[in-house]
Amino acid sequence: MSNETTLMSVATSEWIKFRTVRSTIMGVLTFVVLTIGLSVLFAWAVRGHWHDMSFSEKLTFDPTSTSLGGTQLAQFAVGVIGSLFITSEYASGAIRTTLAAVPNRARLVLAKLLVLAASILVVGELVCVTTFLIGMRIFSGVVPTTSLSSSPVLRAVLMAGVYLTLLTLLGFALGLILRHSAATISVYTVLLLVVPIIGLFLPQNWQNDFQRYEPLSLGGSMMSVQPQSNGFGVWSAFAILALYVAVVLAVGATMLQRRDA
Amino acid sequence: MLKIDHLSKKYSNTLAVDDLNFDVNPGVVTGFLGPNGSGKSTTMRIILGLDHPTKGRATINGLDYHDLKEPLREVGALLDAKAVHPGRTARNHLRALAASNKIKRSRVDDVLDFVGISSVANKKVGGFSLGMSQRLGIAGALLGDPGVLLFDEPVNGLDPEGIRWIRDFFRSLANEGRTVFVSSHLMSEMAVTADQIIVIGRGRFITQGSVDDLTANATGTVIVRSSDNAQLTSAILTLKGTVQLVHDNDLTVSGLTSDQIGRAAFEAGITVLELTPQRASLEDVFIDLTAESVEFGGGKIEMPHHE
Repeated sequence: MSNETTLMSVATSEWIKFRTVRSTIMGVLTFVVLTIGLSVLFAWAVRGHWHDMSFSEKLTFDPTSTSLGGTQLAQFAVGVIGSLFITSEYASGAIRTTLAAVPNRARLVLAKLLVLAASILVVGELVCVTTFLIGMRIFSGVVPTTSLSSSPVLRAVLMAGVYLTLLTLLGFALGLILRHSAATISVYTVLLLVVPIIGLFLPQNWQNDFQRYEPLSLGGSMMSVQPQSNGFGVWSAFAILALYVAVVLAVGATMLQRRDA
Repeated sequence: MLKIDHLSKKYSNTLAVDDLNFDVNPGVVTGFLGPNGSGKSTTMRIILGLDHPTKGRATINGLDYHDLKEPLREVGALLDAKAVHPGRTARNHLRALAASNKIKRSRVDDVLDFVGISSVANKKVGGFSLGMSQRLGIAGALLGDPGVLLFDEPVNGLDPEGIRWIRDFFRSLANEGRTVFVSSHLMSEMAVTADQIIVIGRGRFITQGSVDDLTANATGTVIVRSSDNAQLTSAILTLKGTVQLVHDNDLTVSGLTSDQIGRAAFEAGITVLELTPQRASLEDVFIDLTAESVEFGGGKIEMPHHE
């Protein structure tokens, strides 16, 4: 058997690195607790106020997306997990040790992506399905519920996990470019939270066009059971967000290739 | 074998490495000596493919680092002992490194044992002393049992016992026919560690040779004590030597041999009480060679005057 390094051997190495630092464990724990905890709080709040809600509110009520409310905050946790997977190597200088062992930088990026995407996708789907099931349990008897046997519902729940995975990769890609933990997390937060606020200053007729391209709106579209009147369809939203991530990743990978480590 | 082929590296406006050109051969310990900031680390980073050279190349057995199929099995390096994630244990750090190059897991325990840090293998690296980190770095360099080894300032942070250990270790690596390239800014260290020394300053090649070669070419000084130092001084000055009064009655003469001084004293009718040639140390040679290339030299110290 040849001992040549391969994508799989590098991915194995990255998997060991990923799971042997506390920041990953804490990040994933925060992600799980935030998603489930907040979703449960949202669900209880809705259940408590259901009888006071207006008819039109009840008419447009979507039990699925409401049950996944915790993802609104979880997306920051996964962004941090993604960024730290690369920026922590720069903080300690360990990136040099890594690159001396794996001089093929494109392969290193690919291996890190594989590890990150696979682990967050698995955890994300488990968390989203669990959250959904808990939400339905809380709603039952008072608020209308739905079930995973309906394929649009199943799709919406699974897409929530996909959305969070894409955002993890976005955090990672920004980290490749910025190489600094605090800077990366700041830029990530600005992209998610501040850019939408800037959108509010645009003329009214541009606002909606702008808004539906924001990552948060794309996430909303991906997680909705019914197509949203002012947003993209599920698959278009997924494709646009994936394209964002791919572009930032391509920039990051190119910079890693060109710069001195 | 390691080949540095007309290598230059420019960072924005500074030329960190300026047309370096030398070979590092197997079977001997080669010292890479230069003041701080002279381009040693940059050269090592380029060898490992971490920094891109502006001109020229560095090759390992004829190949660029990027083209090595099993990098850790060909080159082992310790650049910065602290370049390890502080939150990971020593064993996990080495396990991840080993996995990337398909090195057996059992090898991790072997190298931990060899460098003597098995007892802290499951402790987080962040709590390690510099000496322990150096040992971990050496363990990492040895993982793939490579034929070429690079060490950047490996002695930093080691206690005297560790320093002795590492010297013997370099020697045994070289005796096994490996290429051992060790950088240092401490000439005294290189004098006892290296067989061959390459001296650089401000990124430029200065000289190369064995410790004996380097000291042989340098003229030493002579310590003289005589019955009449004043008269002897004027005699020496007429012969274009330089004189320095060291302490009490000792003169340190440079530029002349002890033979010349003895004869000059005889002709002037002075009784010589002591005449001791001092062989130039590697340290003297080094300071001489790099005097112009030290980036931050110490100036004369002046006491502030009270007005």
